Amino acid sequence: MIARFRLASLLAGAAVLTSSGCKKDSESAATKDVAMAPAEEVKISSVELGRQVGPDKRVTAQQDDFTPRDTIYASVLTTGSAPTATVVARWTFEDGQVVKEDSRSIAPNGAEATEFHISKPSGWPKGEYKLTVSVGGSTQSKDFEVK
Amino acid sequence: MPSNRPKPDFSDVESGSSSTAPRPSTPASERSYTVRKGDSLSKIAKREYGDAQQWRRIYEANRETIENPDLIYPGQVIRIPE
Repeated sequence: MIARFRLASLLAGAAVLTSSGCKKDSESAATKDVAMAPAEEVKISSVELGRQVGPDKRVTAQQDDFTPRDTIYASVLTTGSAPTATVVARWTFEDGQVVKEDSRSIAPNGAEATEFHISKPSGWPKGEYKLTVSVGGSTQSKDFEVK
Repeated sequence: MPSNRPKPDFSDVESGSSSTAPRPSTPASERSYTVRKGDSLSKIAKREYGDAQQWRRIYEANRETIENPDLIYPGQVIRIPE
């Protein structure tokens, strides 16, 4: 246990040391745009929410209300082609508190579906949530509720 | 009226993703680099490209493994695009 704690402390210290130089030479990550991939032609056509997705990565039954124990799936449908594009999904709660932010790099070729999912073993707090997805300069949002 | 309800804890949220689209292919001209103590993306960019501002190139090539560009770890293997 002590050895594990020491290892964790060393890693944490090393991470701080490692990160200290970046801010000197460049802007903070907090101010940077998260979608910088060259994906000009790739656009979001729609965003679907539901409790599960099929093999085609599309939500099988769309819905916008969930229970605290649900795994919440979002399917981001895109059009366009690019050697690389980054799809970013940002989940927020009520006043904007970030629940989770994920991204996935893809090489889309025409219509594609990219799914993101989140779960919370201890249960979702009841309330209003928002999912905002973006790829390149294309952004869409979807509201949903946990009841 | 402002709510007095404490902010919920989302630290245990688990997530994942998948896509019908393939992952971007790795250019043959990329190579790997093992992060050393004291490194930052800008320092690596300065050393590799002679320009610290090129750290974005490295960050973009490693978006799947670097969540926060200000946090890289000794021993972490990253890709250096040519």
